[in-house]
Amino acid sequence: MKLSIPRACGSWCKSPVSTTLHKPISFYSSIPSSSPLKPQVPLFLRPPIHSATLSDLQKWHHWAKTLPVPHSDDPPDPTLLRRELKWLLEDALEDHSSVPQMGSHSDDRPIKLRTSLEQLHSVWRQRIEERRPFQYVVGCEHWRDLVLSVQDGVLIPRPETEVFVDLVGDVVTKNGDLTQGLWADLGTGSGAIAIGIGRILGPRGKVIATDLSPVAVAVASFNVQRYSLQDIIEIRQGSWFEPLKDVEGKLSGLVSNPPYIPSDHISGLQPEVGWHEPRLALDGGVDGIDALLHLCNGAASMLKPGGFFIFETNGEKQCKFLVDYMENESKGNFYDVKIVPDFAGIQRFVTGFHH
Amino acid sequence: MGMASGCNVSKKKISGFSSYLLQTLKNPPGFRSKYLQLSGLNSKRHIFSASTHEFPQNIYGFWRNIYGLSSYVIQTMESPLGCHKDFVSQSRNFSSSNSNKVVLCSGYGFLGKNTTGFSSVMMETSINPSGFHQVSGNSRWVRQFGSQAAAEASTSDGLTVEGIIANQWPILDESESDWKSHAAAIALSIHLIKKRLQWKKLVVGLDLLSAQLNKPDLWDNPVHAGKISREHGMLMGKMKGVKNLEQELLEHIDMIKLAREENDPELESESLKALLGMRRNSKEKELEALLAGDHDSCSCYIEVQAGAGGTESMDWAAMVMQMYKMWAQRRGYGVTVVDEMPGEIAGIKRATIKVDGEYSFGYAKAEVGVHRLVRISPFDSGKRRHTSFAAVAVIPILGDASSHVQINESDLRIERFRAGGAGGQHVNTTESAVRIVHIPTGVTATCQNERSQHQNKASAMAVLQSRLDQLEISRQAQMNAQHTQSLTDISWGNQIRTYVLHPYRMVKDLRTNYEVSDPDSVLEGDLDGFILSYLSASLDKDEGEGDI
Repeated sequence: MKLSIPRACGSWCKSPVSTTLHKPISFYSSIPSSSPLKPQVPLFLRPPIHSATLSDLQKWHHWAKTLPVPHSDDPPDPTLLRRELKWLLEDALEDHSSVPQMGSHSDDRPIKLRTSLEQLHSVWRQRIEERRPFQYVVGCEHWRDLVLSVQDGVLIPRPETEVFVDLVGDVVTKNGDLTQGLWADLGTGSGAIAIGIGRILGPRGKVIATDLSPVAVAVASFNVQRYSLQDIIEIRQGSWFEPLKDVEGKLSGLVSNPPYIPSDHISGLQPEVGWHEPRLALDGGVDGIDALLHLCNGAASMLKPGGFFIFETNGEKQCKFLVDYMENESKGNFYDVKIVPDFAGIQRFVTGFHH
Repeated sequence: MGMASGCNVSKKKISGFSSYLLQTLKNPPGFRSKYLQLSGLNSKRHIFSASTHEFPQNIYGFWRNIYGLSSYVIQTMESPLGCHKDFVSQSRNFSSSNSNKVVLCSGYGFLGKNTTGFSSVMMETSINPSGFHQVSGNSRWVRQFGSQAAAEASTSDGLTVEGIIANQWPILDESESDWKSHAAAIALSIHLIKKRLQWKKLVVGLDLLSAQLNKPDLWDNPVHAGKISREHGMLMGKMKGVKNLEQELLEHIDMIKLAREENDPELESESLKALLGMRRNSKEKELEALLAGDHDSCSCYIEVQAGAGGTESMDWAAMVMQMYKMWAQRRGYGVTVVDEMPGEIAGIKRATIKVDGEYSFGYAKAEVGVHRLVRISPFDSGKRRHTSFAAVAVIPILGDASSHVQINESDLRIERFRAGGAGGQHVNTTESAVRIVHIPTGVTATCQNERSQHQNKASAMAVLQSRLDQLEISRQAQMNAQHTQSLTDISWGNQIRTYVLHPYRMVKDLRTNYEVSDPDSVLEGDLDGFILSYLSASLDKDEGEGDI
């Protein structure tokens, strides 16, 4: 990436995404005010008020297994689809110990379901024909040892991002003071990172998680409550640092998985991502680095001395660019700036401390 | 003290009996008085209660007599100091707690041998129906003697369990009220149980462990010490179980003999009933003894791998896996699929399930080996007969964390299966498989059935741990040269069972020749017949009396 800083800054300022990101908002609060959005309840948490006979369910199962996948350059893996079908059943059935009996003898035993058979038909059709992400179909994503509610409008947390929690875990083991401080997760989405960190910090820690999207705020609040972390994690609505003015220079830790995909890559994304996931959470401007630069610039004033940060990036180019930027442009602000690869060996994270 | 109620019932017995006691012990009234008082306490029969108050209470005299008794016992038994101590301490309890009167009623074989009459006197006490638990409380003491002095338990007239077997009393139906038949059946059960527990090895093992436990520096290494003492406790438990059975059997026999002498039909039928109960119970104990191996009580992983032969074999492997899932569900075990590699057209290339529950390893280990299927293949348009193979491995999941092999994080290579390309926000996939390679041994574990990468890694680590533990178990077993037949060894070359669906229908175990003519029931998980026949065959096969 041949990027000069002024250009990067310029593209960030002019990019259409950044205008939405920094659209002035008149309020921030821990509870989305005016009309609080009601998050959707994930399938596995809905009451089992529907019912179908085992043989009808078997018919549906057979239909789902054989539903033809539309032609595509990038079709979903059939093994994966079969596994997803099994998981869909696990989530939809009240007692999923009956799943193994699928495909054996037919019978008329009623099976209690958390959604109707019609709905099961329609959601699976969406999965196959519209390439709707499986996580939106069932309304949840299993991430680390958490089951997080997700829905349209909220980025589905990725397995790569699980590493945040390990990195924070390592840092706080080495430096116990950081557990008692205030942490911030910017652009929290489903709240995954905030919840993962909140559980590591324990009762003496505190995390503020922000997001511009009201849907994300609603979903993250739901997830925080499901893990009974409302005393540790506070959700605030607003763009990046805006809702954090009261804690400037007080943060022990700052983490973020901001949008980092270059704008012109969006159209070529895998259908599950490009057609369904929120552009707000993906599009990082022309070079994908707009939000990351904004975070770097703000980090110095938000973190207290010795404070720790982690940012997730698009890969090697962005990592190297950020490290270079921090070491040269904002000289003296940070130390021990490192690139940490993800499990696939891709340079994914930039970490460091504030002087 | 509620003694009066029983008086009349037992008066007859008492007269003869108590004088006997006095005779034997050359016992002055003081002893008897106290003794009688004590015995009356929680006994319904109140054998001794008749004339309690006729005697002055003389505690000192009582004590003197107890000591007198103990020295008498020691002399007779020629046993080491330990016995004396035991006895004395028991005697002390005796003075503080009335219920300990049972000390005197030990139906003790070797006492009986040497002091005929004396022990039958004692037996008298143990019939007091506050129950056999009293007797067994008593035999705790007995056993200490038994194992230390290596004395063989016997009845008052010297009949031992081996003696009963040697008598070859005919074993009649349970409904026949013949005590000899019951006794013979129970004795045979005990014999079988001892064989299954590999009694001689058990005794030797226990001695070795005792020697280690007695080392003064044992607790310098607390982890090791803990392990030794746990193992010792486990072996002790097994041994006690059997010794209890022997003791109980002999006591019932003694009682029947006594009841006959005393012409007490009530007591005789009671004892007969007790023997019958034992006989029924011992069948269960025989079964339990089949699962007395070190790791038998563990949960386990079952792995099935398709043999050569493409789709037909992969379909067979899936059928075998399904058979185990259904077997496990029948037994009430929890089943989780850990790893599954599906075949291209049908079936599985390999799969691993976790079977959660007590003794799942003990049972499932009988399934290790190659399973062969003969049928008309549904995948062959020519409708020809095919033979396919699937290999089964079973790995115990050790419950005891201290026995786990230590794994160094730096020895691991952790591979995540992910779509190539940019990753991160670019990709949304539910694929989160994890493969872990233990570099020094090359052992690997894969898990892709959990819904998060974190969970897949945790599951794969658990599988890896169990694989490495198993490797260590078999390494140690080979080192100890106790590795006569390796159930822990994954013997992929061993064909153990054939399932024929065509031209006839049959499932036959090649190790035991156990066979079933209904393959469907077997494939639906009805495997217990095969498993139990194999377990008993492998443990009961005649290894000579050396094992007893």
